[in-house]
Amino acid sequence: MPHTITAEDVPALVTGVNVLGCGGGGDAAAFASMLRHSLGETGTVTWHEAGAHDPVIVPVGVVGAVNVLSEKLPNGQEFREAIAAVTRWTGSPAPDALMAVEAGGPNALTVLLAALDLGLPVVDVDLMGRALPRLDQLSWAVRGLPVTPCALAEPGGQILVVDRTDARGLERTVRGFLTAAGGWAALALAPVRLSAVRDACVHGSLTRALALGRAHTELPHRPDRDAVEAALGCRVLAAGRIREVARSGGPGFGRGSVTVTDAASAAVVRLETENEILLALRDGELAATVPDVICLLDRRTALPVAIDRVRPGQEVIAVTLPGPEFWRRPDTEPYVSPRAFGLDAGVVGFEAATT
Amino acid sequence: MTSTARSGSSAGIPLSAMLAHPTWHDVTLLAGPEDTRSIQHPVAAQDLAHPLPEEPTGRLLVLLGGADRGDWRLDALLRRAHGAGVAALLVPGVTALRMSSTLLAERLRLPVLGSPDPLAAYLALERMTAEPGLLRAESTLRTAQVCARADETVDALLTDLGALLHRPVALLTADARHLAGDPATVAPAEQDTVARQLTGPPLPRPLDLPSGARLLTHPVGTERVPPRLVVRLPARLAPEADAVAAALEVASGAVRERLALRRLDLERSARHRTSLLGELLRPAGGEIPDAVRRHAVEFGWRLDGWHTGIRIGTGPDVDVAGLRAEVTDAFAAERLGAQVVEQGDGWSAWTSTDQEPSTRDIERHAAAVRRVQRRLPEVLHAYVGVGRAHPGPTGIARSLGEAADAARLAQGREASGRFFHVDRLGLAQLLLAWTRTDTFQPAARSLLEPLSGEPGDLVHTLTAYLDAESSTAETAAVLGVHRNTVAARIARVQQLLSVDLADPDERLALHLACRTAMDG
Repeated sequence: MPHTITAEDVPALVTGVNVLGCGGGGDAAAFASMLRHSLGETGTVTWHEAGAHDPVIVPVGVVGAVNVLSEKLPNGQEFREAIAAVTRWTGSPAPDALMAVEAGGPNALTVLLAALDLGLPVVDVDLMGRALPRLDQLSWAVRGLPVTPCALAEPGGQILVVDRTDARGLERTVRGFLTAAGGWAALALAPVRLSAVRDACVHGSLTRALALGRAHTELPHRPDRDAVEAALGCRVLAAGRIREVARSGGPGFGRGSVTVTDAASAAVVRLETENEILLALRDGELAATVPDVICLLDRRTALPVAIDRVRPGQEVIAVTLPGPEFWRRPDTEPYVSPRAFGLDAGVVGFEAATT
Repeated sequence: MTSTARSGSSAGIPLSAMLAHPTWHDVTLLAGPEDTRSIQHPVAAQDLAHPLPEEPTGRLLVLLGGADRGDWRLDALLRRAHGAGVAALLVPGVTALRMSSTLLAERLRLPVLGSPDPLAAYLALERMTAEPGLLRAESTLRTAQVCARADETVDALLTDLGALLHRPVALLTADARHLAGDPATVAPAEQDTVARQLTGPPLPRPLDLPSGARLLTHPVGTERVPPRLVVRLPARLAPEADAVAAALEVASGAVRERLALRRLDLERSARHRTSLLGELLRPAGGEIPDAVRRHAVEFGWRLDGWHTGIRIGTGPDVDVAGLRAEVTDAFAAERLGAQVVEQGDGWSAWTSTDQEPSTRDIERHAAAVRRVQRRLPEVLHAYVGVGRAHPGPTGIARSLGEAADAARLAQGREASGRFFHVDRLGLAQLLLAWTRTDTFQPAARSLLEPLSGEPGDLVHTLTAYLDAESSTAETAAVLGVHRNTVAARIARVQQLLSVDLADPDERLALHLACRTAMDG
């Protein structure tokens, strides 16, 4: 059954995708305002669940440092050009619908922008179900489906089509291209029938994000821990002050850790990050890990806070939510477990952990 | 969750004491409580990736490698260590921990220590806790080696012993005065406390100070109140105390032997100096023989030039040979190049110059000697006399003679600081003082004996008359009597004593006798 998204839904959607952004994925604000602008007073995006119909779909998203968007402005043609390039390269028919590459953070909004631009509907399936940093963590790659050919279009007009490589090779090529191209690019994978990939997708992430956002709007100012847990279906790890933010550079994604002390129990909660929050320790004990969603909320507004925006002294609530079902299977879990990020820890499931 | 920490069993040693031990000098407390819990012997973990060693309860967990400060596994290790009842954790390096680890260590009440060399810290604790017998044996053996090796002075031996034990070591008198070694062993403020505790039979024993420090003492020698060899330990660490006590037992024998040797040496050289000075002061036949001159040169004494004698007198029970060093040190501290010789109940000393010293030189010299006197230990009750400068080899004897007389005079002069200098003015006083000697006084009394029992205050009148330069009128005014009375009394004195007051010799003798009688 199709839903329509209007400008009114944008704030709730932004809150929801930022929760699924797990503290990373960048700030969705720039895309949110573009989306509001594109929708105007009356515009809508049609939103399908992956039901009985079988459209040709194209996954789209943005790769690179989304924070440079404000420095390198989009020309508005990126998605159209990337989709056209990959369609032309494969000789496929034009897509009937779009899907998101990533359902956490700003990438959950880019698919809507692209859909508005091309006048296509969106199917609520995606390749991550939350924010994840690497292209080899796309659900298709994990399930052995090809992730190439893949087209990239950057705001300067360059277009790159990558083919005949696996997810790791794609990742390497994309990173190299982004360095040369100025930081970010729109990405489109090859058109494919939904029926061919249905089982290799994460389902319902956008609907979940919207639901989370709508639940959030019910929260009062400075909500207590029970209210937050009830509204978001999460578990509060700590509600208190940030005591330390440590960031370490180095090759690849920047590692870091954030320490929060719980105001009520004085428990020490430490979050380990690499773009996204990967694991949480409470008093030295593993309390939550990827693939579950761990994120920081502002203690007054309960709005998600990006990891690269937190500062010592800030009052926050650290919460964990169940991760996408897709990643909690024996064959998929190793791709997004802490060890997949080089962290020597097993997975702590949301249900297994207790506070 | 519970945040109470399990404490170690009574078999362990206090963590704080171990932190004060020299083998742990580079171990610091990075986080967690600084408390007095006990730790048992250590267990080692290879790095953060490895599981906890077995049975870590009450023990120090030493992380030997792989502990990046930012690693979240350090926090996880803290938690697991606490859960397993580990008494404290030691990690490589001494840089500060991450805030999360610091907060967690405090929350779990788990001390986290750091050391640039965790293996060394591990081994040191292992030795202290698991092998106290070995520690004791090693301490004894190494002390014996040091005693055999160190050169022959007691100071050198104590320095080497202090370096071996990593603790201050000193030799104290039975009343806790410092004799040799590290002065920091007993602070001046603690001296009385220590002296009180040292009374009683001279046995090896520990003394506890109010500061919490413990002194281990061991008597040296078999005298009634022998000096004590003392080591200061900042904290109670039983294995260390055992090892140090064993070391003291070995060292005390060596110290005793060196003290005896030093004593012998001191006595021998004192005897040489004293006899040489004796020959210099009382030359046979008035001439100083060549052999004596040669000996003097060997001692570094110069006989030509101008000499100023100094006499330092003290009590009969003072160890003059043993304390000579303190006297020479005092002179050296005032930059006075003096020869110091043990003589009777004190020391004779003199300084020599090429030229006759000027008045200012003499004043400066006397002031310097006064400062020397003040530098001498209070217990000596030293009294000091300084002679005038005299030239040539015989000048030493002359000046020392004056200094000796001046010292005798100084002995009774509390008010002037028991110091007397024979300068121009002082010489007259000195002469006068001679009239109070044991031989002069009876003679004076017997000279004036005929006047006693006679009516009229004849001795008083005669004194006043001589003081007034034989003026009857002046005398009458002084005494408040009539002139004729004075004249009559003087006439009677001349008659009783059979003296002629016009004779200058007789006048002088009578004047001195009167002065003595009046002062007496």
